[in-house]
Amino acid sequence: MANLKEVRNRIVSVTSTQQITSAMKMVSAAKLRRAQDAIVQMRPYAEKLKEILGNLSGSVDASEGGAYSVERETKKILIVLITSNRGLAGAFNTNVLKSARELIAGKYAAQFAAGNVSFLTIGKKATDYITKNKLSLYSAHNELFDKLTFDNVSPVAQRIMDAFSNKEFDVVELAYNKFQNAAVQIPTLEQYLPVVRSEESSAKKGSSIDYIFEPDKATIVSELIPKSLKIQMYKALLDSHAAEHGARMTAMNKATDNARDLIKELKLSYNKARQAAITNEILEIVGGAEALNG
Amino acid sequence: MHLEIITPDKKLFEDEVMTLTLPGIDGSFGILDNHAPLISALKKGKIKVTDKLSARHIFEINGGVVEVLNNKVIVLAE
Repeated sequence: MANLKEVRNRIVSVTSTQQITSAMKMVSAAKLRRAQDAIVQMRPYAEKLKEILGNLSGSVDASEGGAYSVERETKKILIVLITSNRGLAGAFNTNVLKSARELIAGKYAAQFAAGNVSFLTIGKKATDYITKNKLSLYSAHNELFDKLTFDNVSPVAQRIMDAFSNKEFDVVELAYNKFQNAAVQIPTLEQYLPVVRSEESSAKKGSSIDYIFEPDKATIVSELIPKSLKIQMYKALLDSHAAEHGARMTAMNKATDNARDLIKELKLSYNKARQAAITNEILEIVGGAEALNG
Repeated sequence: MHLEIITPDKKLFEDEVMTLTLPGIDGSFGILDNHAPLISALKKGKIKVTDKLSARHIFEINGGVVEVLNNKVIVLAE
């Protein structure tokens, strides 16, 4: 029979855990809303940029992004891992790391065996994972999530782009969680560099509007490609940020539910034990009285 | 004409304006009402806007691109 005091203590500790998880759930819900707002804010910019690039691709090949679209023999790989700084978000970080692991075990197995796969990590969880497994860490940018603005993300994206154009790397891949809705995150792998020619932008060719181009199309394209690359990086980070809070919210919601079930079970066994004790006492008293009456 | 200045983080400005001056890559230039369709790259500098009430606004940008179409000006700033 469970000890009464033991069960009571467990009930108290589970209750306080439940309070923490439900508070974390609330915090994540608030942060999720803000993260979603940031994505919504960014969307018109990204769409307009895409539209202008589409307009340009009418006559200039928009995929000719100069230094950023050169396809070289894939020898050196950089994988950008975007995770969160904190845990307790369910399978959020594991999913990204798993997809990266699959990447180096499959597609880039040869390069990995030759030691030519490096990692750039954004988020403490990825950095910890890379250092723990003694993989080659190119650089870590855990501080980005403290203040996620375009101005902060842009230098990191620029650094990756420079490394690519200096032939430090031949392929750059992004691994992150795409935000679908609060409950669903899709672990995504995306080739960042060289620029992948998007089919739809080349499909809607020849816009009818007769634009004046200042100074000329080629210059504008070479200005726009880096910009859209930075936006792509920023978008991946915003997505991951929103997905993180979504994942944490779901995980904490489940934890709160589990705690509630556990408390229910514990209360039941507490009450059973209490009743058994009372019954015992009554039996003793009755037994004692019988003996006296004898 | 209608002017929108947007950055990846937020919308900086949206209103009807009289004139604006932009820091083009080959030098600064102005845009008035009914300008022909134009796409231009911008460098780091200041955007000067005069709105309908003749009030002046100045925005600092780190480069960007501008599109003028049908009396609507959209600046993608950085």
